[in-house]
Amino acid sequence: MAKKVAVLVGTKKGLYILRGDTNRQKWDVEGPQWAPAPIHHAMYDPRDGSMYAAVNQTWGGSRIEHSRDMGKTWTTSSNPKFPEGSDRTFSQTWHIEPGHPSTPNVVWAGTEPAALFKSEDRGESWAIVQSLDDQPTRAKWVPGFGGMGLHSIAIDAKDPKRMSVGISVGGVYTTTDGGTTWTQDNKKTGGDSERPDVFYCIHKLLAHPEESGLRFMRVHEEVYWRDPNETTWRHSTAGLPSNFGFAAAMHPRDRRTAYVIPLDGMTRAAAPFGIGVYRTQDKGKSWQKLEKGLPQGAPLETLREGMHNDRLDPMGLYFGTANGDVWASRDEGESWTRIAQYLPYVTSVHAAMVE
Amino acid sequence: MLLHGAFRGFAGGAREVALDAANLGEALEALVHAHPSLAERLRDEHGKLRPHMALFVNEDDARLLGWEDAPLKEGDIVHVIPALSGG
Repeated sequence: MAKKVAVLVGTKKGLYILRGDTNRQKWDVEGPQWAPAPIHHAMYDPRDGSMYAAVNQTWGGSRIEHSRDMGKTWTTSSNPKFPEGSDRTFSQTWHIEPGHPSTPNVVWAGTEPAALFKSEDRGESWAIVQSLDDQPTRAKWVPGFGGMGLHSIAIDAKDPKRMSVGISVGGVYTTTDGGTTWTQDNKKTGGDSERPDVFYCIHKLLAHPEESGLRFMRVHEEVYWRDPNETTWRHSTAGLPSNFGFAAAMHPRDRRTAYVIPLDGMTRAAAPFGIGVYRTQDKGKSWQKLEKGLPQGAPLETLREGMHNDRLDPMGLYFGTANGDVWASRDEGESWTRIAQYLPYVTSVHAAMVE
Repeated sequence: MLLHGAFRGFAGGAREVALDAANLGEALEALVHAHPSLAERLRDEHGKLRPHMALFVNEDDARLLGWEDAPLKEGDIVHVIPALSGG
């Protein structure tokens, strides 16, 4: 059966699911689920068809929900918990990530306060990754503007024991033994930073889904590329109208292509240069603006989880905005159409390929 | 106990729960026993009652009655209410 795309859209007031037809042209909007609870992130696990949502509700505290029937019904997971005696309390979930295909029951969650949690039962329960929490350098982690969270979980395409996490503001930590030990992984080539030990503030770290060792990272006012077998991050922002931004995506097949949405560092909006998705096809050496179909010059805003791609051919790319729009491209970013509007403030977008 | 708003949803739609308890803390414990799904919605992992939750004994704010030590007598109604704040 041909794959369709369902876009999970987290907003400040509930979760929406946009279900596309086989051509990705007509979209039905379902939702909201859990409004008025903010949904920081929602994702689909292609390994077993589960959906997960970070429901960061004031009433009753934040929680993670999971669905085994494509979002028809949801079950509340047992909360991530900081250990007894800890002076920290689970505040909210920033990101949920499926484990490596070779570990089908494993799901990961990044939280605020910044910590990594692992589920070995498909999200029913969560346990803190103590080895990361015990890093002596944790004492140097500080909150960014949005808080202090672990928001990026980059699992290697081939090696299930190799993964990196990104923390605001705490830098990158990498394990090559499945999380038993971690090393700080912040060596870079080029770029400025007031905190060279941890980068300025990491906004999004991605692992390529097919190429082992290939990474792309969106930092506060920098963008970095890392090829397989490289041990440093290469700075690469030539052609961007602003070095600041949150959203990032990697092309699932083309190993030289990635996408960002630049914003102004002060206003947090695409002003004065206007909304556009910027693409590199040469590992970040140069960037080109893709804006056909987008409102020219519009000072829109996207957040950290605000852009995602499907894995069809040609690839579909999706992003959501603070004014409640969701935009989609069926041609790898060349042209754009609005597939939803008047939603609440969009906090996350996740494209799932479904039957 | 009467559950209001979101807390009703956390308890699977239950609106009213009849309990025997000498004080508010005991009542909350019995409530969780009756509806385990409320455990993590009422308290964090260290046992602290979550903020943005108001508890009333009849018409009185439980904070003024000793909070979890607030005494209860037969026929009292405890309200569990999602608290609103801000503008």
